[in-house]
Amino acid sequence: MTTTSSDTEQVPVAAPLVGRPDVNRKRMARLGWGFTTPSLIVIGLVTIFPIVYSVVLSFSAATVTGNGVALNGFTGSNYSLVLSSSKWHYALGFTIIYTLVTVLVELVFGTLIALVLERLTAGRGLMMALLLIPWSMITVINAELWGYIYQGTYGVADAILNAVGLGHPNILGQSTPAIIGLMIADIWKTTPFVAILVLAGLVMLPGDIYEAAEVDGSSGWSTFWRITVPLLRPTLALAVMFRVLQAFGLFDLPYVLTNGGPGTATTSLAILGYNVIFKNLSFGPGAAVATTSALLVLLGCLLSLRTFRVQVGKED
Amino acid sequence: MRNRKRTGWHRYINGINISAFFVVLFVGLPLYWLIASSFKTPANLGNSPPQFFPNPVSVGNYTDAFKNNDFGQYFINSLIVTLIATALVLILGTMAGYALGRLPMRGKFTLMVTLLIISVFPAIAVIAPLYLVLRNLGWLNSYQGLIIPYTAFNLPFAIWILRNYMLGIPKEMEETGRIDGAGPFRTLWTIILPMALPGIFTAGIFCFTACWTEFLMALTFNSANQYRTIPVGIAEFGTVFTVPYGTIFAASVVAVVPIGILVFIFRKFVISGLTSGAVKG
Repeated sequence: MTTTSSDTEQVPVAAPLVGRPDVNRKRMARLGWGFTTPSLIVIGLVTIFPIVYSVVLSFSAATVTGNGVALNGFTGSNYSLVLSSSKWHYALGFTIIYTLVTVLVELVFGTLIALVLERLTAGRGLMMALLLIPWSMITVINAELWGYIYQGTYGVADAILNAVGLGHPNILGQSTPAIIGLMIADIWKTTPFVAILVLAGLVMLPGDIYEAAEVDGSSGWSTFWRITVPLLRPTLALAVMFRVLQAFGLFDLPYVLTNGGPGTATTSLAILGYNVIFKNLSFGPGAAVATTSALLVLLGCLLSLRTFRVQVGKED
Repeated sequence: MRNRKRTGWHRYINGINISAFFVVLFVGLPLYWLIASSFKTPANLGNSPPQFFPNPVSVGNYTDAFKNNDFGQYFINSLIVTLIATALVLILGTMAGYALGRLPMRGKFTLMVTLLIISVFPAIAVIAPLYLVLRNLGWLNSYQGLIIPYTAFNLPFAIWILRNYMLGIPKEMEETGRIDGAGPFRTLWTIILPMALPGIFTAGIFCFTACWTEFLMALTFNSANQYRTIPVGIAEFGTVFTVPYGTIFAASVVAVVPIGILVFIFRKFVISGLTSGAVKG
């Protein structure tokens, strides 16, 4: 077998072995689908089929029977029930506000942390490792930890608030403090993730632009707003999209930390959907809650995809 | 590298390092609180004001988690489900990522976008139908009842990461294989796979983390004590009246340590996954 090292000689040697280019192309395409099909079957059966089933369920007068759920024909009543329910309105509003506040705070703090880490001369690797721990932590553990911190008689937060003269507010027992407490727990866990995403974007920025800015006498502040932020926009957009979609599916943290309470103060769309399906066993309305949330996520995703599309198209 | 610079600590007192110190406090203090609390006695956990250092240092919570509770079983369940799902994702994802990254196929773009959308779909959207299907199959409270959904839900993102790594490998590599007379499987196995190894590590660690931390499906499908994974086990330690924080924190430390070590060792791959896997996607 004669293998050659230079590029110019490779093509004529390879060509006769692999046959005519178009025949070869077809064969390679068939191979490609052969390699892709197993994944597509698994994904199709476990994700796409349930999504379709969920939509069907949401339009059915479903009743629970001995061995599952009977669909009982088409109805629009699930949606009219859900869309006119004050619980759904509250859950939607709560989820949107929660998403907006946490993502905004995480983005600002994450960017600040990334800027600090970028200038760090020693120990950056260790800092990154530390930042990855909250990201990799089980959310249930995060919820239990903050539950202990907020505990009304022996929690640290309670002791600190008491020390600054605020008495013993029962943090998780009142709506607004519980919502803020939930947000803080989320911000603690996810800001490091945003920081790493932004840092990765910062490191890839071309250095010569900054040298030019320095020569032109640009101050640190205007360099940040006029050069860093515009160049970072794709990274920031991606971080925002990731976080918005994740925050919109909020379930684990309030389920364990507040169980949706006090009352329904921290009942997100996902918790509402879960309770309607598995506590009330109302599969039809539950599927309607789930489907509308998924639709909102899809909408958000399609809007963000415009940022993506350019880059996907470029590489294809 | 750090040793060389370690002379003269005063050099390190500046705005950046002081800010970095506060970042360490912000991230580190709650982590410290988790670990410190796991070593306190149940009585001292209820101290007001709280103890900063556990005194006496007690490992009672750890023995309680393993001996009086079934945390050992939960740990094994999590390990089984996570390892098998990750292995399946990597095998299927490498094949699909290779095909989508390097082979001429029609409709690739549509497929990649569909995968992207599926990978961000909230689990709540599919939980009811999946529950009904698994119930009909008799797969509630089984390992496969979690392994298969975990595989399917983590595949799209893994395919994205792997495809992007495959794109970066020079085209000439396959031609070298073809000249040597290797078939497509051998080319993938002996030439492409070793070069895609960083991508496989990255996809692997993301999948491992996602499976290890997943809660909603585990809670819904595997509620029987024997099949609970760590997140469900920890969430169910408490009762309506008491929350055994000591036991919970001891179990939590044990659950955080393996993945902490994994992430620490493979941090380069995690970070490169966040950049090349996603941003360039």
